[in-house]
Amino acid sequence: MHRLSASRIPSGKAAAQIGLLIALLLTVPFAIRVVNAWHHDVPETPSYLPALEGPRARDAFDATPVRDLARMNPGYVIIGDSMAGTRIDPRRLTELAGQPIAPLLHPGSGPAWWYLVLKNWVIASQVRPRCVFIFFRDTNLTNVMFRLDEQFRWMVDFAAHEREDELNSVIATRTEGPWFRLAGTFESIYGAGRARRWIEPALTQAVGRTLIPSRRQHAAFMSSMNARFSLDHLRPMEAADIQSAEEHDADFGRYVNRSLLPLMLRDAKAAGLTLCFVRVQRRPEGGRPPYQSRALRRYVTDLRAYIESHGGILHDDTGDTALTLDMYADGDHLAGTARRLYTEIFFERLKPLFK
Amino acid sequence: MIFHSLDFIIFFILVASAYWSLPRRGQNVLLFGASYFFYGYVHPWFLILIATSTAIDYCAARGMEAWPDRKKGFLWLSIVSNFGMLGFFKYFNFFVENVEHLLGGAPHPALRILLPVGISFYTFQAMSYTIDVYRGELRARRSLLDVAVFISFFPHLVAGPIQRASFLLPQVEEERRLTVEKARSGFLLICWGFFKKLVIADNVGVIANKVFALQDPSFPILWAGVFAFAMQIYADFSAYTDIARGTSRWLGFELTENFAHPYLARSPSDFWRRWNISLSTWFRDYVYLPLGGSRAGHAAWARNILLTFVLSGLWHGASWNYVLWGTYHGLLLVLTRARGMLSPARPAASRALPAFAVPVLTILQIAGMFVLTLIGWLLFRETELSAIGRDLRLSPFAATALDRQAGLYLFALALVYSMPLWIHSLWAEFVGPDTEGARSWPQLALQGIACGLAFAAILVFRSRTSLDFIYFQF
Repeated sequence: MHRLSASRIPSGKAAAQIGLLIALLLTVPFAIRVVNAWHHDVPETPSYLPALEGPRARDAFDATPVRDLARMNPGYVIIGDSMAGTRIDPRRLTELAGQPIAPLLHPGSGPAWWYLVLKNWVIASQVRPRCVFIFFRDTNLTNVMFRLDEQFRWMVDFAAHEREDELNSVIATRTEGPWFRLAGTFESIYGAGRARRWIEPALTQAVGRTLIPSRRQHAAFMSSMNARFSLDHLRPMEAADIQSAEEHDADFGRYVNRSLLPLMLRDAKAAGLTLCFVRVQRRPEGGRPPYQSRALRRYVTDLRAYIESHGGILHDDTGDTALTLDMYADGDHLAGTARRLYTEIFFERLKPLFK
Repeated sequence: MIFHSLDFIIFFILVASAYWSLPRRGQNVLLFGASYFFYGYVHPWFLILIATSTAIDYCAARGMEAWPDRKKGFLWLSIVSNFGMLGFFKYFNFFVENVEHLLGGAPHPALRILLPVGISFYTFQAMSYTIDVYRGELRARRSLLDVAVFISFFPHLVAGPIQRASFLLPQVEEERRLTVEKARSGFLLICWGFFKKLVIADNVGVIANKVFALQDPSFPILWAGVFAFAMQIYADFSAYTDIARGTSRWLGFELTENFAHPYLARSPSDFWRRWNISLSTWFRDYVYLPLGGSRAGHAAWARNILLTFVLSGLWHGASWNYVLWGTYHGLLLVLTRARGMLSPARPAASRALPAFAVPVLTILQIAGMFVLTLIGWLLFRETELSAIGRDLRLSPFAATALDRQAGLYLFALALVYSMPLWIHSLWAEFVGPDTEGARSWPQLALQGIACGLAFAAILVFRSRTSLDFIYFQF
């Protein structure tokens, strides 16, 4: 074996110097804990997603939709994000179906929210709609981590009880990788998660307060800022909402049991509900349906087989020649003017479900 | 594989650990294998391209030495094959779209051509080898392994800095050493690089992305966004360079500097001596000087400068805004020189300034150049030409009070996040050069504390939106 010459790598004192650098790198961040101790945080409760985060302050479960659903007793329920919101005109669908429609939509929502809405609002209200439609794009349905980042969690809070063990265990199957574990270990050792929850808002508030010292005016300013950057003010940019399906997400066999799809199908079946998953067509390209990789096409075939074998329905808009490019606004969103037309096409295509 | 991933950290620790237990040739075999694994980690077919480029350039260089009378032909083989690959993968759709637009035909669905990451960097690096051999400045290498390591060396493969064969190849061929100085300074560069990427670039990038997504930005909001983007692109690109240089040092290599505090430049030419230095010097040596440089009179010089900068803009991407950005910077250089020619007495006038006026003049020059740079970044970031026209027509007087407040708020936020970058630049420029050397234990402890604080900041402030390195797309 090749013998190392002493001149090629540092040793002795030199190695001690590098060791000192690494030791300081790892010990200085304990200062975060000290800083945290000075900060009087708002009361924190254990999270319903311990696989993802530590204790934090959260918004309470909102039971209003449960009461509203029970009072409304809808014939059909629509769950989804802006893909459904920019496509379905509930009033028109109500006219066509002759039954009340309950849209449970939230822009920026993902499968965790859809699952909780189905379980904690629709099923909990004990209504028996003839069908529950869940809108999604490409591989979103089997990616439990889609829109589950910190900035989306407040939305999930409204639909989550104090414990969501099944959701948590599904998430745990996706967060058991070494990166999540390492990040989680560092966060808990140094108290970084807790620090992040108050330091960053404190920093942005400090900047705002320096410019606008009055508390009331500052609050009004922040609210105006949020309005200034709301969806209405965003440019109709093709890339705005196009989130291309990553090839590695298009592996149905790998992700289905690490997703909420089996739970949705199981819970719906137990409650006697028919679930219809609606895959929206992404933005057409040059007058043709959008490109789909071979992996994605295989994924959709597997998805359909799985859903149908578990008593659900999959409706795929992709390739529907009636859904032309001129109906689209930005990215995969439809234009407001196309909502009524889409709703009518949707009703036509799924007529058997509306009989 | 990206630097800010656990995959890379594990990969690098394994490679570096095995590396120092091998003799030089074994190290090169390991580097070759590791670099190809790194590059083909997500898309293995990328390896076909880099291997093809390497094989052609190796053979072309050997051919030039074996048949000197045909060396021009071998040079063309290298240039055509490298530019052919680059042109197909990077510019094919752009070309087709523009031809269709000119002919007024119905748009055809574009071919789905995935741009292989790093192709613009390694093709340029490979061509520097064959061009230097053609010019007789470098001898063709016999070892295909050494040439392959030179072209694919993983720390800088994806986003530079582009290395010259005359600088990097000898290091590939020589015995490497890991000195404590290299290990320590490499460690600092890696820490500083991660801090710049995860704390500065990703956070100010969120501000820039929000502003550039607005349909109707007002003057203050737009320029706050441009400022945020200026900070983002510098922090992001220089972070990649620092991590590349730091990891290279741990493997016993030295890569050239790519940035020298560009936002403290005093003139356009000064800016290009500080920004993306490896690319600017590549274009200087392989495009601008062969075109004639400044030897053939003012008009020819202006043409050469403009052509070089248009090509440099186009190198960044297949889009007209990059061409516009390159043209803009070329024009700035031409106009600066024209102004210098029109007022040749300026140096004497400068000498006559009172002492207190010199720093004021310096500050004004830096501020003026920074504003010009921001205009350039607007052209660079805004991909829609119609939006560029609209942005440049915005009036500061038409903004509402809320827009002024919002612009100031976003600017202040971007400034707060980028403050470490400014402090570092100002310190290095006006107090002393980068103090990479640390001879005493207290100095070392201070550097360790700085690394620890950087790590703490990464833990607390890392953006929720992790963005790719910007220059990956080029």
